[in-house]
This record gives sequence, structure tokens and C-alpha cells, in this order.
Amino acid sequence: MIRRILDFTIVLLFVWVCMIIGLWLINEVIVPLKISGINNHFVEATLKVAVSAGLVLFWLWLWREIVKVMFWHTLKSREKEMKSPKKENDEA
Amino acid sequence: MIAELAALTVGFVVSLLTMPLVMKFMKMMGMVGIDVHKKDRPSIPEMGGVAVLVGLTASVLLVMFLMPEKVRLLMSFLSSALIAGIVGAVDDLRPLNARIKPLLTVFSGIPILLLGTYNPRGPIFPIIGQTRLTIVYPLIILIAMAVTSNAVNMMDPFNGTMSGTCTVITIVMILSSLILGREDGLLLSMCILGPLVVLYLFNRYPAKVFSGDVGSLSIGAALGAIAILSRLEAVAVVAFAPQIMNAFYGLSTIGRLYERREVSRPTVILEDGRLMASSDPHAPITLARVILARGPLHEREAAQIFIILSIISGILAIFTAYLIRVTT
Repeated sequence: MIRRILDFTIVLLFVWVCMIIGLWLINEVIVPLKISGINNHFVEATLKVAVSAGLVLFWLWLWREIVKVMFWHTLKSREKEMKSPKKENDEA
Repeated sequence: MIAELAALTVGFVVSLLTMPLVMKFMKMMGMVGIDVHKKDRPSIPEMGGVAVLVGLTASVLLVMFLMPEKVRLLMSFLSSALIAGIVGAVDDLRPLNARIKPLLTVFSGIPILLLGTYNPRGPIFPIIGQTRLTIVYPLIILIAMAVTSNAVNMMDPFNGTMSGTCTVITIVMILSSLILGREDGLLLSMCILGPLVVLYLFNRYPAKVFSGDVGSLSIGAALGAIAILSRLEAVAVVAFAPQIMNAFYGLSTIGRLYERREVSRPTVILEDGRLMASSDPHAPITLARVILARGPLHEREAAQIFIILSIISGILAIFTAYLIRVTT
């Protein structure tokens, strides 16, 4: 039970830290960014929102991939564990 | 503080008195659901969420009487929960299409917009502080209300998981409101806490009642409304992490909005009564399935893990509230 909780705690912590780092990136890097060649304030703001939205989507994608890999890896190793004693018995 | 404590007490007592009546009525009307995770598959009364809505309405009406200056805030909060509750009740009585239901829950955000009880500038995030999303924020509110209500609705795989995790989220909202000095958040959370505790007492393993969509959608909408009305959006996103995980994994594996009855079951029941993750590649990867991937568990243990995860994300949410306080 503790192992299952630990798995998720690590994922939750990772996702939370990523969120905080993402917010810092938006605040410190993306928002103050001056894009050379673009004089229109509206276009510049839209680009910044698009980059921030892309960052959020990347965050969600990363979150999904971590859990997907974790799930199939755990399930397969569990199935292997369940099959291996049976195999040994068959060989015996 | 008197109004908050009165809201908590009235909500709890009214729900406690209403729940047995609702259960009796639902049984009489044949509104029962099969508890599929039990070997003997018992019939359990559905729509226990009606008692939650009755308790919530009673506590909100009491606070309206005690604090007339908060009528607009309380009206938008209660209307949001009631609209989602009506959608849930319709779905309980006559199952709605998987695409129509989320669309209808969008309407639960309308009272907040019409009564203008939200922060017009947008949400507050740690580090960033007050955002300026004046134009898109009303649209975000509508989407957020649909997301919270449906995410809570999807997080009901085992006895007591929905009611237990939502009780944890409400307590987190109360603590975050205290950290950030959000009086409205404290007041609204106290209104829903009493009915939620009652639902948990009746819905925990082995369940005596199911909340039904009337309960889960209205509770989700109420929590979403608390986050918006009390400017606790960032805290809520972190507190809702298990619900977001569950809904997001399910949707991303199926690739579209779905109803539980339309897809393969993510879990299977063993002969000894324990639950195991299904290895069917077409079944959605839900939080329950991920938890059970490490091996079979009894329903009570699996439900406990859900609540522990909610407590962990709750701790992170409280830390987020603290970050908002120190960085903005």
C-alpha cells in the first residue's frame, strides 16, 4: 500500500514542482520578452499567451506520459511475477 | 465566525435528517444501483446527493438570513450547485449522452457571470500574482465549472471515494481561506462541509447509499464555485490533482468523452472479492486502474488510497496558498 502511495506522491510532487517552475518561467521569461520585429502590442501579447498555453499543454502531456509509462511498466512486471512461479512448476 | 459555524451545523443536521428519508424514497421508487465491486452485488439506493442539496440549501438560506450583505454571493453559489444538480438528476433518471452532459454543466457557471460575483481581472497564481485575463476569464469560468463537476463525477469508482476526496478538498479550501484571509471562501466551504460529511458517513465502505450524478455534479460545481468566488483557483487546481489525473487519463486513453457504461471496465473482481486492474488495452487508464496495477486490493483499501492521495495533494494545495501569500 505504501509503495502505491509513494508512486503517486512522486508524480504529484513532480507535477507540482513543474507547475511552479512553469509559472516562474511565464513570469520571468515569457512576459518580459521583447520580440524584435513585432511592433503591434496585441500580436506580441497573443504570441506570449500562445507560448504560455504551449507550456501548459507540454506540462499536461508530460504528466500523462509519466503515468502511462508507470502504469504499463507496473502491470507488465506484475503479470511477469504472476506467471513466473507457474512456469517453474510446469518445468518441474 | 458564528455564521460559519451555524452554516456547518445546519448543513450537517439537515442532511443527516434528510438522508434516511431520501434512501427510503429511492428504494420505494426502485431507484437502486448495483454495487458491482461486491461479490453479492447488493442493491443500493441511488441519488443520495439529493440530501446534500437539501442540506446545502438550508445552510445557504440561513447564512443569507444572518448576513444579508452576502446574498448575491450566496445566490450565485447555490444556483451553480442547483443547476449542476438538476443536470445530474436528469442524468440519473434518464441517462444523457456523454457529450451533452458536460455541455449542460457549463450552464452552472452562468449565475456567477450574471450576478457578477467573480473577480473580473482573473485568477491569482503564486509567483505571477494577479493576472489580467479580463476578456477570457468569463469563458474560463464556464469551462472550469464543467471541468470540476465532471471531474468529481468521474472520481466515483469505489465506495466513499467521491465523498471522501471532496470532503478533503473542502477542508483544504477552509485552511487556504484562513491562510489567505478569504472570508467568502471560509463561509461557502462551511456551507458544503456539513452535507459532505453526512454523505461520506453513508457512502463510505460498505456504502448504504450512492450519491448519483445529482450529488457528484452538484458537489463538483459547488467546489468549483468556491474556487472562483473566493479567488482560490490555483489552490483548487492543486487540490483537484487526483480528480484531474483520473479524468485526464481516462479521456486521453479513450480519445473522447465517454460514459462508464460505454467502455470496458478498468477493474475486474477476483473470486476472493479483491479488485484487480484490467489488462484490456481498450479500457480507460483511470486512477483506480493505476492504483490496482501493483496488485489486487480490497475495495476498502483502494478507497483509502484515494483519500490519502487527496490528502497529499491537499497538503501541496495548502503550500500553494502559502506561496500565494508570500510571493504576491
